[in-house]
Amino acid sequence: MKSSVRGGRSAVRLFGTLAVALSLVVAGTACAAGGQPTDDTGDVEVGDPQPGGSLTVLLDAGFAGGWATGLDPATSNTTGANLPQNAAIFGGLFTLEPGENGEGGQIVPNQAESYEWSEDGLTLTVKLRDGITFSDGTPFNAEAVLWNWIRQLSSGSTGAPNIALNTSLEPPQLDQAFLDDLFAALPEDVDRDAVMGRLNAIRVVDDLTIEMHLNAVNGSLINGFPGANLNLIASPTAYKEMGAQAFSEKPVGAGPFIVTSNTQSQRLELERNPDYFKDGLPYLDELNFQSASGDQVLYQSLLAGDGQVVEGLSSVTLIQEARNNPDVQVVLGAPTSPYVVQLNTRKPPFDDKRAREAIYYATDFEAINKGLFNDEGEMSQSFTASGGLFWHDTVPGYREYDPEKAAALVEEMGGLSVRLGTTDIVTARSVTTALQTQWEEAGIDVQIDAEPLGDVINRFLAGDWDALLQTAGAWDPSVGIGVGVRFGSTSPFSGTPLPEGAANAGDAIAQGLTTELDDLLAAAIATTDEDERFEAYKQVSKYISDEAYAPFGMAFSPAQVMKKGVHGPGLDQPIPALAVNQGVLYDRVWIEESAR
Amino acid sequence: MTSNATAAIAARPEARSGALGRVAGSPLVRLITRRVLVAIPLLFAISLLVFILLELLPGDPAQVQAGMDATPEEVEAVRRRLGLDRPAPERYLSWLLGVLTGNLGISSVQQKPVTEILATALPPTIEIVALAFIVSLAVALPVALLAARKPGGFFDRTIMVISMALLAIPNYVLALLLVLIFAVAFRGMLPSLGYVPISAGLWPNLRTVILPVLALSIPLMAFYARFLRGDLVEQINSADYVDTARAKGVGSWRILWQHAFRNSSFGLLTIVGLNIGGLIGGTVIIEQIFSIRGLGMEMLQALGARDIAVVQICVFIFAAVAIAANLIVDVLYAVLDPRIRYGRN
Repeated sequence: MKSSVRGGRSAVRLFGTLAVALSLVVAGTACAAGGQPTDDTGDVEVGDPQPGGSLTVLLDAGFAGGWATGLDPATSNTTGANLPQNAAIFGGLFTLEPGENGEGGQIVPNQAESYEWSEDGLTLTVKLRDGITFSDGTPFNAEAVLWNWIRQLSSGSTGAPNIALNTSLEPPQLDQAFLDDLFAALPEDVDRDAVMGRLNAIRVVDDLTIEMHLNAVNGSLINGFPGANLNLIASPTAYKEMGAQAFSEKPVGAGPFIVTSNTQSQRLELERNPDYFKDGLPYLDELNFQSASGDQVLYQSLLAGDGQVVEGLSSVTLIQEARNNPDVQVVLGAPTSPYVVQLNTRKPPFDDKRAREAIYYATDFEAINKGLFNDEGEMSQSFTASGGLFWHDTVPGYREYDPEKAAALVEEMGGLSVRLGTTDIVTARSVTTALQTQWEEAGIDVQIDAEPLGDVINRFLAGDWDALLQTAGAWDPSVGIGVGVRFGSTSPFSGTPLPEGAANAGDAIAQGLTTELDDLLAAAIATTDEDERFEAYKQVSKYISDEAYAPFGMAFSPAQVMKKGVHGPGLDQPIPALAVNQGVLYDRVWIEESAR
Repeated sequence: MTSNATAAIAARPEARSGALGRVAGSPLVRLITRRVLVAIPLLFAISLLVFILLELLPGDPAQVQAGMDATPEEVEAVRRRLGLDRPAPERYLSWLLGVLTGNLGISSVQQKPVTEILATALPPTIEIVALAFIVSLAVALPVALLAARKPGGFFDRTIMVISMALLAIPNYVLALLLVLIFAVAFRGMLPSLGYVPISAGLWPNLRTVILPVLALSIPLMAFYARFLRGDLVEQINSADYVDTARAKGVGSWRILWQHAFRNSSFGLLTIVGLNIGGLIGGTVIIEQIFSIRGLGMEMLQALGARDIAVVQICVFIFAAVAIAANLIVDVLYAVLDPRIRYGRN
């Protein structure tokens, strides 16, 4: 079964994600707010929120700071990367909130009041909060959600989620004016039958209730919401009045802020939404997002006073420098995506299990963690990390570092030559160099290919790779760059064996063939029971480990770096990264008056 | 010639055609015509080369834009939407026809006409490049003249050391240093990033371009100053016409400015012409560092996203500007030196 919710990112964005994640050099899971006053328990003392002020957030142009395809959730290809902008403009049906005691996170209904699964797990009912209006004054109701969801599913955008809907239900009674408005907002060449099928599966129950009928149980659907465009509900009336392009530049939502100015992928300026549905929020009067290229520029701009927050700083030296700067606070996110060395089992040398075992035994990620990352990374033997769901850092039978065993296997095979690839990023190159040294000690001949992103994608697509240093995992392992992307047999970015009888991935899809691992991955989302999913993911980890498909390493999350006096969930209160950067709940971000 | 006489001549058709003929037949016009005629096929050749290079780039644009977990059908749909299912020659001809008719296509990423993207990207790039060009020459010329007046003197040696140091610093490092000094150390003096259009006011606009312009122009001014100073010193030390001028009692400033500089300007012109391409290329990095959404940044981002329509026109513009710059240099040669104008050199 295919992963159920596909994040709104193009391959470049997703690989950009990996690139950013690969460059992460930050430490651990704990939050550090050096220099701030603390209470007796060591927690940072923060006073009551102080309303007002203007905040400028600096975003990396290569990821969150790029919104070249606009900010209309139905047509943007960068929804998953633009979490900050989307949170500010749209708010979201659901939010990923900081977990209790600052650990982990939890999905909380936001503009939705509640959600409920039917007993068979095939119908999701979402109840909306009463009294919410879009910032143009029109009602935020079930019909608006329906309009948005159908657009997002039918727009042809690469950000369109992929959900197995039950389209065979009886057609509902729909208002002709609604249908006209909907089709006017869809591409001219849209498949009208497919749209009508979706309208059968997604139904308005009453003004504040909407149902989604599925063909198969999807245990990760709700968890995928905060990173997917389904979460972002825009005003249909504003779209109709503004037209596609203007709406894409200045979308209208029901979030805490309203767009006042937008220079695509450069600067986005927002002002407080006076009609925001949460009393007293947002705290800030103005919120700006400024794009800048690279960590060095981001950090310098922070110091220059051109912004007060850098979201997702990943350079180890700059994070260390920021930690030593008394005017700046550094908060590390809860990691969700560990390093992994993917091995291509579809061609020599890793079609031989002994070669894969040799790599496991020759790899000492703990030494790399100690040497390159000051021992601050969080070790994992699976695709999970402490910030994510279903965390299990050890896997029974996992092959740990044993260079003698590695050398013996290499000798038994009569030698082993490997091309170890990675994205051409300084940190990733350092890790591959360290791996090269370790592997060569075991008698493995290693050639490093550090290549630009496009070349790495091309290698994946062509299957022209032996081993690639990547990251795997997400807050919910099945969404974003989840485990399915790395290990599903039909994923173009996987090196696990193809199903028996399949010539290639397309063939496997066409014939409906799957591997045992595919079935385990499908089982992990075929239930809404969290305990069952946890057990299923443990089985997936065990299977990957037993088959020696990929040794895992450290897990990191980028740092939120901000001027002293800036507070809020996702900034000085860590929220797990959905895939790369953690989301920030900007309605509750505030600045101390002394820091303005 | 009096105005009456001119009017009388103009009234006679044979006289008018004679005047036009003289203009058309002038060596300078012939030279410009020749150069333009060479430039046109050159531009076409470059556009074809760019198209071929983009075709050869690794990576499938459709897969890149469809997403990592897109199904093969979705990838094919994107391929059709982008027109990538058509044969390459057909796509090139269609693009070329579009360019000739003013239709530059639609950006596959931004989903808007490329002309619209250019309308916002060109002004900051043109402003930065033009100012960098002006500033570099405006500083380099007097500095070189002053240094060449007393070769080996204190000013000359100081300038040589400073210019060598500035030449050794890549412009992206210089950009970061400038930010550290003018934005971080003197906090708030100048912004570290962003661009304010001139329509928002001259000073707000200038504040945002000063650092990018300096980052681009400082290495150039150092280079121009060293080059021109060297050429001037050589002229002064070895040229016969300088000795003759000295023997006639002409002052050293006049020799330097009216005689040596005129000769040295040929070499400088050549270098400036060649550097225009580099100057525009430099904007790719500088715009990234200062977060200015100009042509360079558009091109780089389009390249990463395989937004072919945008990459193609950006490279085409860069090439056209480089060709135009060299054409202007050729014309200036001819203006300065009659031997070139009359085809004797």
